[in-house]
Amino acid sequence: MKKIISTILLIASISYASGVKPVDNKLYTDECASCHFGFQPGLLPARSWVKLMGNLENHFQDDASLESKDVETLTQYLVQNSSDHAMNYKRSKKITNSISRNSTPIRISQTPYFKKKHRELRKSMITQKEIKSISNCAACHRTASEGVYSERYINIPNYGRWDD
Amino acid sequence: MKKRVLFLLVPLSVFASSFNPQMQGYIDNLKVEAKKNNPNFVDFSAKRGEQIFTTSHIGKRGEPISCTSCHSPNLKNKGKNVHTNKVLEPLAPSVNTKRLSEVKNVKKWLRRNFNDVYKKEGTALQKGDVLYFINSK
Repeated sequence: MKKIISTILLIASISYASGVKPVDNKLYTDECASCHFGFQPGLLPARSWVKLMGNLENHFQDDASLESKDVETLTQYLVQNSSDHAMNYKRSKKITNSISRNSTPIRISQTPYFKKKHRELRKSMITQKEIKSISNCAACHRTASEGVYSERYINIPNYGRWDD
Repeated sequence: MKKRVLFLLVPLSVFASSFNPQMQGYIDNLKVEAKKNNPNFVDFSAKRGEQIFTTSHIGKRGEPISCTSCHSPNLKNKGKNVHTNKVLEPLAPSVNTKRLSEVKNVKKWLRRNFNDVYKKEGTALQKGDVLYFINSK
């Protein structure tokens, strides 16, 4: 019985998962998601997280500085769960593969995969007060905090569902 | 029974606007620093703190911003980060006991938010004044 369970677990862990891995780190939630949506580490490759965490004093024009010990712990978490270390998750794999090897984007919204997926949106959809910024994932992706970005769970405020 | 409830409530209300021991230690350190900078310093002032908290200033992004832009003019209400739309829990310790309870956290936010709003880290006097103001809410 034990063997069967461990075999099932093994298969589950190596099989392809949809979406991205949900955030599972309290320090990350406390420190990063207090100002903005808690972006999953699997939305950017390791090199991007390292670059971003190296300049928290100027974090997209805001001061997000932390004690160096916390920076270290968080960088480690981000790198270990980055998109290029989570290639068994569909979105992480697609994001990773879309970025050219010699570029290091620090905005998720600047990755080619993200841009392609959002290219048909009208600007007025994003700038409306209910959303404000393309970085506000959960405003439209109702299941974003679970790492699920499927089309069927999209609900754009004042526009409704989104069908490609 | 009524008497006992009253007995419990009275001390709570007396200490409602004081700091916990950890925070009081930090306030005392700020006082020492403020006194060093100005020998005439006596104590922090919630009134001066209110001025700092509510005054609009050209911030780090080059746009006018004040503490109330995100924290709302009524500290007992929830606020909203003006750039990300993230909802912020109330800042007033009277409605959110987590506020002003941990020195590490308080230092972090003072540093970040003074930089974002005033483009420089506040002085000991300014920090103490703001903390007195927040704590009075």
